[in-house]
Amino acid sequence: MKKTMGAVLLAAALLIAGCWGGDAGKTNLKHDSTAEKGLEILGANVQFDPNVLMNNGEPIEVEFWVWDAEEIFRGIADSFSEIYPNVSIKVVSQPWQDYWTKLPLALQNGTGPAMFCIHNSQHENLVNYLQPYDIALEDLKADFSGVEGHVIDGQVYYIDYGMMSGSIFYNKDMWAAAGLNDSDIPKTWDEFASVAQKLTRYDDDGRLIQAGFNYNKDVKSMIIGLNYQKGQMMFDEDLQTLAMDNSITAENFQFLIDLYEEQGVGSKDFGISDGESFGQGQSAMVYKWGWYYNQMLSNYPDVQFGVFAVPTPSRDVPVAYDRYNGESTLGISGTADEASQEVAQAFVRYFMSNDEAMKELCLRYSIFPAKKTLVNDEDVKAHPVMKALAPNVERLVWPGPFPGVIETQMQQIFEDVVFNEMSVEETLEKGNALIVEDMQGSDFVTTERQYKYAKEMNTTR
Amino acid sequence: MKKQKLVSFLIHLCLIFMVMMTIAPFVWMLLSSFKTNAEINAIHPTLWPQNFTFDNYLKVQTQFHFMRYFANSLFVTVLITVLVGYTSTLGGFVLEKGRFRGRKLVFGLVLGTMMIPWFVTIIPKYSLMLKIGWIDMYSALVIPAAVSGFGIFMMKQSLTSLPDAMLQAARIDGASEWYVLHRIVFPMSRNAIASIVIFQFLWSWEDYLWPFLVMNSEGKQVLAVGLRLFNGRYSTDYGGLFAATAISIIPVVLIYIIFQKQFIDGLSSSSVKG
Repeated sequence: MKKTMGAVLLAAALLIAGCWGGDAGKTNLKHDSTAEKGLEILGANVQFDPNVLMNNGEPIEVEFWVWDAEEIFRGIADSFSEIYPNVSIKVVSQPWQDYWTKLPLALQNGTGPAMFCIHNSQHENLVNYLQPYDIALEDLKADFSGVEGHVIDGQVYYIDYGMMSGSIFYNKDMWAAAGLNDSDIPKTWDEFASVAQKLTRYDDDGRLIQAGFNYNKDVKSMIIGLNYQKGQMMFDEDLQTLAMDNSITAENFQFLIDLYEEQGVGSKDFGISDGESFGQGQSAMVYKWGWYYNQMLSNYPDVQFGVFAVPTPSRDVPVAYDRYNGESTLGISGTADEASQEVAQAFVRYFMSNDEAMKELCLRYSIFPAKKTLVNDEDVKAHPVMKALAPNVERLVWPGPFPGVIETQMQQIFEDVVFNEMSVEETLEKGNALIVEDMQGSDFVTTERQYKYAKEMNTTR
Repeated sequence: MKKQKLVSFLIHLCLIFMVMMTIAPFVWMLLSSFKTNAEINAIHPTLWPQNFTFDNYLKVQTQFHFMRYFANSLFVTVLITVLVGYTSTLGGFVLEKGRFRGRKLVFGLVLGTMMIPWFVTIIPKYSLMLKIGWIDMYSALVIPAAVSGFGIFMMKQSLTSLPDAMLQAARIDGASEWYVLHRIVFPMSRNAIASIVIFQFLWSWEDYLWPFLVMNSEGKQVLAVGLRLFNGRYSTDYGGLFAATAISIIPVVLIYIIFQKQFIDGLSSSSVKG
């Protein structure tokens, strides 16, 4: 009986594998002999001319790795293949977690994709395997903002298609229940603390049941922005040494601690994650980056929430509002064969001259478009996160693709202070030294001094 | 008598507690696969779904190629398990019943393979696969896994209980070594083989990093890799992940149910020498 079952199982496995084992990506590619397709040239400065033959019209399939938004990229790939019937773009989804292990390994060995999504935090990990864009710098600069920060020896390997930054998300029902309306949206941190107090609720036994503001788990995202607001740079003048052990960081840490301990608008023990607490309707306000918007929509569709710009130290225009990080355009493999690279270069041009595709991606992640033609797009302007970011976008600082250890360690430092009651200054000093040691082998150079208003900032500790 | 009953009762109570501790996460996962993400993430979690939903199971197939990954996993795992079952018995038989110079050295080398952390071998193994052109081929998954040091060790231990006299008798009657292996050793080692089959099936089924690294085509990828697609950059789709995991463990549970008795007997026979 067992033998039979085993045999049946084996046979079933082989049968199923036989049925489904084929390669779904196989397509019947045609030869393309018509260079002049009569199609419109796309783009203002970065242009895509479809009226040329790709790979001399010979069939070719190239791979394109993504970690998310597969359907959007597949749509772009399909429309590209419609122009070039001899080209198939095989979009392959890879898990984000280990994408950065597999991709460099595959690129190094020449088995990787011809093009792929890239994240600037992995810059050092990947830059040696990238091919520079075959697009004139002037054209890129004319169409996109923030290109300068990506120029390496006169070339770019990727740029930003959008900028992600922080905003305050607030629960509209709690807002209304506290008797607040749109005119109460705070502009300064003092006003913010006052609003947060109104939104905070305790039960009869004095236990916190609704936090006015919750930053648990996410001080790491906030602290650099708070420093920038006060004009404090992250890095020393050598552009490489982290200089977060300064009085401004200590002051901002203390400000956050005081919000909980002095003003009582929240508690370090009120849930381990600000995002989840907000989604569960336990916290009235959180500071989050753009990605959180869609997460709220998909995970907590019943919560009515709004978004407003990050408050500032005073009503005056600050030196900077916050930090931003870019979402990168595609990387092109420097180890792929020539024909695949030709297709990849054309695809990148197509992607970057395609406003609709760029807009779709920006809206998906709630990121402010770097493409100048999209800044005044109606859909972009109507998006709550972008509406909050738009007036301040010129005063957002990009410190460059710094290693993730900085944020992780900053969170650790803060938790050591609040949970282990360690001294702010001492913990900052030790933590900063640890990060500096950790970054010893890194080639990272900050771009924060390229910020338009960098001269107004404090460049020393 | 009364004391004995009390002891027995306490032992059973402990066992029931341990069983509950062991299966509680599984039951929670299974029930959570019928919850919405908001309910799964709730700060005050519930065991039973408050808003029962099948959406997670429906999106498992629509969001990624679940059935393809499932079939690929089944194919690769079954193949590896069959091969390991065979090579382990063969290796165990040769090392336990064979008499040749260097036998202990070979066995030492086999044991040595178990002492090297698996992740240390990943890069050299990858380079090797690349050199022989097996990247993105099932052979890269199956061939390196076809011989198991643990399996050979376990079978060697198990075969110590098989009397040499029985094998000698067969040989005297004219049985070849091939015949002895297939007609005597295999049937008499069913329990130990079943244990190896269960272990190996489970390991191959849940193996993630190696298939992830060597398989590039989406159509050839295995389920363990597919399940990671639920872990996004910013958040995890727990509902989808739990639903896919609940389905994915069915083959493992089936294998265990089929070989349950032999598994326990096999483990006992391998752990006792002589």
